[in-house]
Amino acid sequence: MKREMSMKRRSITKVLVTIFALGIGLCLQGHPGYGMPPVKRSVLANGLVLLVSEEHSLPLVTIELLIDAGSRRDPAGKEGLAYLTAQGLLLGTKKHSEVEINEKLDYIGASLAVSVGRDYTSLRLRVLKKDLTEGLELFLETITEPSLPEEKFHREVRETEAAIQSSEERPEVVAEKAFRKKLFLDSPYSHPVEGTRESLGRIKREDVVKFHSAYYCPNISIFTIVGDVTVKEVEDSIVPKLSAWHHASVAAEHFSTTFAGGPETVEIDRDISQANIIIGHQGIRRENPDFYALTVMNYILGGGGFGSRLVDEIRVDRGLAYSVASFFGAGKYQGSFQIILQTKNASAREAISLAIEQMKLMQRELVSKQELERAKKYLTGSFPLRLDTQRELVDFLSRMEYYGLGLDYPERYRSLINSVGREEVLRVARVYLYPKKFILTVVANLKEAGMAGPEGAASD
Amino acid sequence: MRSRRRGKKTENLWLVLCFLLGSYLYPPPSEAGLRERVSEHILSNGLKVILLENHKAPVVTFQVWYRVGSRNEQWGKTGLSHMLEHMMFKGTKKYGPEEFSRIVQENGGDENAFTSTDYTAYFENLSADRIQVSLDLESDRMHDLNLQEDNFQTERMVVMEERRLRTEDNPQAYLMEQLEATAFQLQPYHWPTVGWMENIKNLTLADLKSYYHTYYNPANAFLVVVGDFSQKKLLADIEKTYGSLPPGVKPDQEKAIDPPQHGERRIFLKRQAQLPFILMGYHVPNLRNGDSYVLEVIATILAGGRSSRFAREFIQKKQLVLDADAENSLLSKDPGLFLISAEPLPGKATAEVEKAIDREIRRLQTEPVGTQELRKAKNLLEASFVSSQDSLFFQAMLLARYEIAQDWRAVDEYPPATDKVTPQDILRVAKQYLIPENRTVAVLVPLTTEGKKTRGSEFSLESKTVR
Repeated sequence: MKREMSMKRRSITKVLVTIFALGIGLCLQGHPGYGMPPVKRSVLANGLVLLVSEEHSLPLVTIELLIDAGSRRDPAGKEGLAYLTAQGLLLGTKKHSEVEINEKLDYIGASLAVSVGRDYTSLRLRVLKKDLTEGLELFLETITEPSLPEEKFHREVRETEAAIQSSEERPEVVAEKAFRKKLFLDSPYSHPVEGTRESLGRIKREDVVKFHSAYYCPNISIFTIVGDVTVKEVEDSIVPKLSAWHHASVAAEHFSTTFAGGPETVEIDRDISQANIIIGHQGIRRENPDFYALTVMNYILGGGGFGSRLVDEIRVDRGLAYSVASFFGAGKYQGSFQIILQTKNASAREAISLAIEQMKLMQRELVSKQELERAKKYLTGSFPLRLDTQRELVDFLSRMEYYGLGLDYPERYRSLINSVGREEVLRVARVYLYPKKFILTVVANLKEAGMAGPEGAASD
Repeated sequence: MRSRRRGKKTENLWLVLCFLLGSYLYPPPSEAGLRERVSEHILSNGLKVILLENHKAPVVTFQVWYRVGSRNEQWGKTGLSHMLEHMMFKGTKKYGPEEFSRIVQENGGDENAFTSTDYTAYFENLSADRIQVSLDLESDRMHDLNLQEDNFQTERMVVMEERRLRTEDNPQAYLMEQLEATAFQLQPYHWPTVGWMENIKNLTLADLKSYYHTYYNPANAFLVVVGDFSQKKLLADIEKTYGSLPPGVKPDQEKAIDPPQHGERRIFLKRQAQLPFILMGYHVPNLRNGDSYVLEVIATILAGGRSSRFAREFIQKKQLVLDADAENSLLSKDPGLFLISAEPLPGKATAEVEKAIDREIRRLQTEPVGTQELRKAKNLLEASFVSSQDSLFFQAMLLARYEIAQDWRAVDEYPPATDKVTPQDILRVAKQYLIPENRTVAVLVPLTTEGKKTRGSEFSLESKTVR
């Protein structure tokens, strides 16, 4: 446990988004006089997309391999399979045991991070330039040749089950879980990435082996390398290694997405001091052309931290919450829209109706010129801040490629945001917000919140 | 900044980010030669200015650090430093409430602030051509804050919500608070930075005014700016905006230090929770004592990387815990705690985990650490240092934290000081500090949830947390 070093004024506020990826908070744009660092894109014969960006200020290299193998590919009943597969990479390879791999990585001070989302799985390596060859070797070995010893696989399952149990004492996690379960009726995004304690029990080692061979393929992956390395070095010494990875055909997927319409209320009783509230409904796909107008609209509603309407109303004017924010999670498939806030149990009803009123207001009236200007200035102006570390750049480039935004996206982004007018904001608010058909999730001391019983929460 | 448990299991980008940030701070690294690249200036009113040019991106981080934190508070007024931090956004005579944030946003910048036991810091991250925005806004609120009763009342409610969110409903954070309240009897580290709820509730505007008057002045603050600027020009601009502020008086910063502990202290916290949790805090010196660097290496041997002793023994071999960590407090202004924490797996008793931890401590005290393992720990520290330099924000924060603890120049001592640690140093330091007489053990005992609605499998881990 990290010691609580400091108390911050606000928690997330502007880091509003990204469930799946390039969310609304990670908006990018070339600042006047600011060009993206040059990026070289190529596609290898095995289908792997390669992105290289040189940055020589530190003797450090950051690599990300993004594989289109997120939890949306979990077979029904085996939720958590994508997650276990990614975790399983760290349990040893055909050449090295778990202990050996970890010893070697630690000895060169390298860090290998695995994260699994709903759309994709990301494997990230951070390594000193002088150890790049060895680090990369180990990185690729874990990805292409995991050995997945039976006993270690079972340990991984037990740990995941325990992590799930541990997270159940976090009210915000409980709320999010319950919200998704209620909202996503039929969707690849409805289940938790880690699965459930029941579904994990049904996953066998062979399932993981099969998932790995089906999806850990170069032709559905993106390899991004940023840092103290030249394009030539990459072409001469790294491309040959990446090219050895075999292309394999991946079956076409087909998913439908249906959502609960609302209004519906999920109440969960806990002996806690705050009501953890989610108000939300269906969202959008990342490819939706209204993404940019929604980015602006959401910034004004609750995405923009201080100065956003939800923060003004609920926190600044009334002191009802420390943190309140809204976001659209936009992935390959339709995600959700959520307003998330926490307030003392006794204020739950008041905060809920204030939040809903702001959704309605967004649909009723044009936003002010000032609000619109501020949103645009922040969204377009904050671009360079988002890419000033290797990690941020690697993240951005991989996701830009994954969602097919094109290398010219940073330049286009500015005009996409700046072309949004007040009427456009009103239009998308009317199309994409549902202030009468939402799922309300409340994890609280229901009695104190005046919500005990299924009819307790008159939501509107 | 974001202090979060290392989420080995809770996979999501933000947690991974937090993990990385955590490791940036945890072995607070240094670099030979930072001393040559950083310049220090002191204005005539006493304001110290620390500048580091870094031109890799056209951005700057502008930070104002005040030498005031919860260690400066009085019993009964805990949480005052943090409360004032919140009020610093409520306007001056020149700018209205919340205007600060709006102006920064309109300039495409991010701003925030944070408070700890030892400091209160404010920052803006901006495009390099907007640095004047910081200069104007920050110099203004250093001397002309407009504290008003009505928005104070409201903001105090916000802070109470913050305490509920971070501590009241988080059993592990609550346990940490209890541990510190037990380990420190005399030092102000006895109370939490956010303050006790009863104290927050009773803070007054008069408290804030007098606190602001005492601690917010050029003589008790310093600036750290890192990024794409020219030192000469920036310094002239700083002189222009800050130079005319009245100097103020350097407040007394001497605080009592706890006398040596003579015997283990042990507390139990009974709360609704899923899994137990165990925390151990050993009194240790800070960077002013060379042993602190040995403790840095010890923390890495115990819990750094995936091949650490804790990872191998507790997680991989014995399958005792979900997570275990060790952390030194090199940069606290007054002596702090060396912390060990562990979350047992379901079905494993805290006593068993404690025994396993004790075995590892004994090993440190009796078996010299092998050459390879020691090298590995040092390599981890080195790599962590290099990557911490990747972020301008953290580069500035690193300088500032050393400056708070002792002197920013001490950053340069970190690599040689950790690199020269020998197996004998480790034996000696482990025997001196990591002993039961010198520690406090805090155990979270989960209460069952009878009478509550079903929990359990219906609601399990999500891959994403927003905060």
